[in-house]
Amino acid sequence: MQAVYAILIAGVLVGMTVLLTVLNKKTPVPEGCENLGPDCHACGIVNCAMRQNQTEGNKND
Amino acid sequence: MNLFTIFISAMLINNIILSKFLGICPFMGVSTKLSSAIGMGIAVIFVIFGASIFSWLLYYYVLEPLGLTYMRLICFILLIASFVQFTEMFIKKTSPSLYKSLGIYLPLITTNCAVLYVALDNITQGYNFVETMVNSVGVPAGFMLMLVIFATIRERLDGADVPRPFQGNPIAFIVAAIMAIAFSAFAGLV
Repeated sequence: MQAVYAILIAGVLVGMTVLLTVLNKKTPVPEGCENLGPDCHACGIVNCAMRQNQTEGNKND
Repeated sequence: MNLFTIFISAMLINNIILSKFLGICPFMGVSTKLSSAIGMGIAVIFVIFGASIFSWLLYYYVLEPLGLTYMRLICFILLIASFVQFTEMFIKKTSPSLYKSLGIYLPLITTNCAVLYVALDNITQGYNFVETMVNSVGVPAGFMLMLVIFATIRERLDGADVPRPFQGNPIAFIVAAIMAIAFSAFAGLV
């Protein structure tokens, strides 16, 4: 029975995470906040998703 | 342990950055400007406080009664991810101005190990609900204090004549090490 509860709880949490992620992606960004980005100049972490997004954005511009 | 001791201990003595070496990524990455540091600090306080309370409730009212305490790590990770997504969505909908100042930091916080540390530490230390709340404010308050102090120093370093090999991250790490030595003096306070 414990295994069933474990699977049930994990399933609920995974489902909740996926649902909230999808809803968050679908929620429109407020006006004037479309091009917000962190200041990555001094950060040495080159594989950060934020940095990669910003680099790609700069290339597109 | 009384509440004041827990708060001071979490904020200064066992500072999450300088004594546990957690949350180093935002500490180095978002400390270049004071305004960014304050924004990140406020976002971290909000997320750690919320995530820790939900984690505590999940552990003591669901996982422990069902004998599933071994699942706490995976459950807390999922709970933190959900909480951050919900917070971001809620801020997008209700307060564009708040989103403008905090929005970009929220996705960064999802992968901040400090959030998971506080959630797990509250359980490991056996804190009750009130102690959990105090600890969950003290730890991120210490994080924000370090971030603000460090950002102030880095803003001044921009104008300093730093030798070329030490410019950027090397001098930042040296400053962080000196700060860690200074804060180790708090060790015998409580």
